[in-house]
Amino acid sequence: MSSRADLPILELSEVGFGYDRNASFISSLSCSILNGQFIGLLGANGSGKSTILKLASGILKPSTGQVTLWGKSLHQYRQKDRAKLISYLPQFLDMHIPFTVRELVSMGLYPYDILPDMTAEEAMELVGLRRKADIPIAQLSGGERRRAFIAMTLLQGSGLVLLDEPLVNLDIKFQLEIYRLLKELQKQKNISILMALHDMNFAMQFEAVMLIKQGSILGAGTPEEVLTKDTIRDAFDVDVTVRKQDSGEMIISYTRNTGERLQD
Amino acid sequence: MPSVKITLLIVVSLGIFFVSLFLGPTLISPFSPDPIEKEILFSIRMPRVIIAFLIGIALGTSGAVLQGILRNPLADPYVLGISSGAAFTAALSLLSGFYILGKFTLPLSAFAGACTASIMVGIFGWKRGNLLPERLLLAGIGLGFLFYSAMMLLVSISTSEGMRRTVLWIFGDLSMADWSVIPYGLVFIASGLGISLLRAKALNALILGDEMAHSLGFSVQKERLLLFISVALMTGASVSLGGTIGFIGLIIPHMVRFFVGANSRYVIPVSALCGGGFLSISDLIGKTLLSPMEIPAGIITALIGSPYFLYLLRRRDVFQG
Amino acid sequence: MISFLLFSVFLTTLSLCSPSPLLAAPPERIISLAPNVTEILFAIGLGDRLTGVTQFCDYPEEAKKKPKVGGMSNPSLEAVISLKPDIVILTTDGNPKEFEERLRSLKIRTSIFRARRLQELPAGIRELGAELRVQDKADALAKKIEDALTRVSFHQKRFPDRKKILFVIWPEPLIIAGRGTVIDDVIALFGQENVAAQAKTSYPKYSVEEVLRQSPDIIFIGKGHTEIREMSEGFLNKISLAPAVKKGKVFFLSDNLYRMGPRILMGIEEMAACLQ
Repeated sequence: MSSRADLPILELSEVGFGYDRNASFISSLSCSILNGQFIGLLGANGSGKSTILKLASGILKPSTGQVTLWGKSLHQYRQKDRAKLISYLPQFLDMHIPFTVRELVSMGLYPYDILPDMTAEEAMELVGLRRKADIPIAQLSGGERRRAFIAMTLLQGSGLVLLDEPLVNLDIKFQLEIYRLLKELQKQKNISILMALHDMNFAMQFEAVMLIKQGSILGAGTPEEVLTKDTIRDAFDVDVTVRKQDSGEMIISYTRNTGERLQD
Repeated sequence: MPSVKITLLIVVSLGIFFVSLFLGPTLISPFSPDPIEKEILFSIRMPRVIIAFLIGIALGTSGAVLQGILRNPLADPYVLGISSGAAFTAALSLLSGFYILGKFTLPLSAFAGACTASIMVGIFGWKRGNLLPERLLLAGIGLGFLFYSAMMLLVSISTSEGMRRTVLWIFGDLSMADWSVIPYGLVFIASGLGISLLRAKALNALILGDEMAHSLGFSVQKERLLLFISVALMTGASVSLGGTIGFIGLIIPHMVRFFVGANSRYVIPVSALCGGGFLSISDLIGKTLLSPMEIPAGIITALIGSPYFLYLLRRRDVFQG
Repeated sequence: MISFLLFSVFLTTLSLCSPSPLLAAPPERIISLAPNVTEILFAIGLGDRLTGVTQFCDYPEEAKKKPKVGGMSNPSLEAVISLKPDIVILTTDGNPKEFEERLRSLKIRTSIFRARRLQELPAGIRELGAELRVQDKADALAKKIEDALTRVSFHQKRFPDRKKILFVIWPEPLIIAGRGTVIDDVIALFGQENVAAQAKTSYPKYSVEEVLRQSPDIIFIGKGHTEIREMSEGFLNKISLAPAVKKGKVFFLSDNLYRMGPRILMGIEEMAACLQ
């Protein structure tokens, strides 16, 4: 770990936000992402994972409170400068775009006027799409499309990467590959990653997770600390058992759903 | 796309320009024109070819840009109601006999209509500090119908011969081409084209979606507004130069994507050149085929363009998805 | 697309067939669906019985005060019926055939004015007079027209050299009077050459450079009392090398020649004055 390890890159302080002017969805949320952290963001559908990522990326503006990037308010950055520091990959991507893999991946260089360390070829190599460079995105499989977008985000080369459910629609093999890839990059280039996901067993591999419910944080820390029987019931409304395997890995198994939420 | 292709395209366009000058209802020899032929060359054919190129450039570019900012492959410069707005005010000036600005009356009233319609579409398409593609499209369709029916109302209650003139104008007509309107058309179309070329990267990013464009460091609101303004300028100017000419804005960008891919940095300039060249060839055919009668260029563009487009459609998958 | 349909209806020329005139009472309430018919009806003394006209019927002055039933291509069926006509007169130029059929199916008597060429006008007027039981007056008007036409043909030698003539209906886009039109007939009557004679349709959209190449000696521009005079400036500038423009032989005519009725004689005189 570098000496800047515990410097906060991005800080949300007492952030409030509502999609509707009258009702606030998030009220007074505070958290920070430290340099080099790889955090998994967990929560039920509609708990506010995407909203938090959009607030962190600057797509949404908080109605109260502040988002700061390297100590300076996020909205004071010039757009291009901000894009060099944060990149964001939304959950819902338009897969009917007309571009080829190479064209898409190369767009990761748009914030730069000079060529950065990585080239589009290297980025495609990283996600295993180099051979498909000139094939239109629309002709790829779901997993390949996702990987192409991730290659673009990687090429953007920012120190903080926000990923909204990047593993959805991927085979377990690619889920693991992409996770390992991100993890390697995080170590090598000391980038920080905040990634929304909903597979709790997958989240067990993370060093840090954050559990969200209705726009506020239920817990943050190592998976073992955060993902307990009680917090999971609170966040997801399901009963689970959390067991430690002989190998030391944690396994969460779902027993039954408790509430009436699914019935109405 | 290698620069060889672009160079080739520029050479071909220049070739079309000169062919359109010397070919026509009758062939004019470039080497020994008599006084009448000289007059035909400089005061009739040349402004007409230039205007055909300008309109084609404007429509090809606008189509490419609009299909991007509206994220809709069916968008064309007329879907935003800009041409209907222009047609309405043009009809108003033709039918009322309002003629105080001389030969500039028609182009200027059409341009005023195009601007009014663009601003109205912009206002209706605006929500939460952003121009939203779906809203823009729907507002354009709604306002387009409104202006169109207002114009048809004028035509149907009118007793003046301006009516037939209006109808011909709506079809698109290049025979009124005149040197005097070229400079002002050039200014608007060149600035629109300039904006589009400079913002080609932003257009690519917008095609990925607003959130991706934001992540790549573009101000989504600003970029879409700028591109929308460039389309409004180009479409308005082209409608005021030659009425509404169909097909080019919708189909040329798709054809271009077949050959150069979807990257807007190539699609925009190539659509501009192809649009210009295609319209001047169409006009050349239109005035030569049944000479001395003339067929409006807009009819020819669709008559030759559509079968070719359908052929391409069968051969390859245009929309890729 | 809608405009295209409207346009084709507007241009459609239809040959209609009329029922044979029966021995009915002379019609008291007449509706005219064409400006030239209106003018003929006034000329043969039926102005008082004219109950309805189109919005294009602007001559003579009294015609403007008559109730309107709509345009030529789109007259209102309801307006026609509500005026309770004894007979409705249509033309083959400009009125839709379907409208006539519709009227007949509603048991409204119709009559069709068929004359489209100059030489057919007297016969057309006589036929109309017979239908409306005013044979004498119709015959007189027809005779007057026949005499005038013969006189002009006879005086053809007054214009010995055959000149090339262009008759502009609308300057921008250029629409001119071609073959098979009354205007073409009048030009032929004077023994002159219509430069647009080789165009295949009656009112073609014409090539400007072709005009310049054919170098017309005289240019007539129709309906010159309206804004057409100013609108023609651009067109005349472009063909400034044509002999007609160089020698100032560009004449703005009234709409007399546009109406296949009594005023055609005034139109002929107007043109004759310019040719001298």
